[in-house]
Amino acid sequence: MALTTRTVGNVTVLELTGRFDAHMAPALLEWYGKLRTAQVVVNLAGVNFIDSSALAALTGGMKRCRQQKGDLKLCALQQPVQVIFELTRMNRAFEIFPSETEAIASFTH
Amino acid sequence: MTYADYATWKTTPISEEPYLSIVIPAYNEEERIIPTIGAIASYVTGLGLPWELIIADDGSRDQTVALVESLEMVNLRLLRAERNGGKGSAVRRGVLEARGRYILFDDADNSTPIEELPKLLRKLDQEGYDVAVGSRAVGGTEEAHKNLLRRTLSGGLRWIVRHFFRIGVRDTQCGFKLFTREAAHRLYAAQTIDGFSFDLEILYLADRIGYKIAEVPVTWIDAPGSKVDTSREVQRFLRDLVRIKWNDLRGVYAQA
Repeated sequence: MALTTRTVGNVTVLELTGRFDAHMAPALLEWYGKLRTAQVVVNLAGVNFIDSSALAALTGGMKRCRQQKGDLKLCALQQPVQVIFELTRMNRAFEIFPSETEAIASFTH
Repeated sequence: MTYADYATWKTTPISEEPYLSIVIPAYNEEERIIPTIGAIASYVTGLGLPWELIIADDGSRDQTVALVESLEMVNLRLLRAERNGGKGSAVRRGVLEARGRYILFDDADNSTPIEELPKLLRKLDQEGYDVAVGSRAVGGTEEAHKNLLRRTLSGGLRWIVRHFFRIGVRDTQCGFKLFTREAAHRLYAAQTIDGFSFDLEILYLADRIGYKIAEVPVTWIDAPGSKVDTSREVQRFLRDLVRIKWNDLRGVYAQA
């Protein structure tokens, strides 16, 4: 599992790859601690599996951003991850976009 | 693999004999079972083969049963149990209910990614094996997050199984095993051990009957939240080793 960060305008983009599970969730919580913006896009294009710990870590980040008048949005879900979001009904909690470009653009609309 | 394939599988009962049945035992798996089902359903529907999923509950006291029921997948069968009878009993119930030409037993924690399935299917479908066992003990295996204690114990138990039981399979406990239906039904009907060591008994019986067994290296990730109490399970494992040998000497497996 790898975690890469970059900035596009006022939006911080976090790119994750590999298996996103309880082994990786603490790294994400640590990453939130260093975050200086409340506008975040998490690009999941490289993630092939996500477990409940990882879903909880994403939800925690989303709540944190919304409390600061921002949001944490998701993009580019692989099909297995999309199905997991649907079955856990977490697709209703997040704004999810097909591409990173659309997710970033949504912050300016 | 398309989303439409998954949606069709979820809502349309398969009309023919399943090519594959996947059996997952579940005991208090409310945290882990849904992502595992999602990953499996998404991947396997993409293979384009008729298949069914069987969740064999083992008397869970949490929300496992309610969560699985809420998925409303028509090709998913949920087998309930009143009491916790042990992982071996749950797998046996699931396997004996399975109708697929091939039957995969898979753990609820997705420790072995379902993407490893084709390696095992190839052994049965193209190379004439009766049983294909996912293994963490042969060349090409990738293990992640397994602690030193579990590595040491696994190594020690493998040595005992190999040298005292003469079972050729080096990793008897990996929860990713594929059987032909004939082999699965015959082996699980003869199974007597309901606990952690049922795998060992199944492989002992398979070897005894003369089934052709392939050991296939797979990726394995030690999923957090494991319910295995290592020291207790080692004691049980050693006790069950003796029990299996004793069963055999007494002729318990003669009808298998």
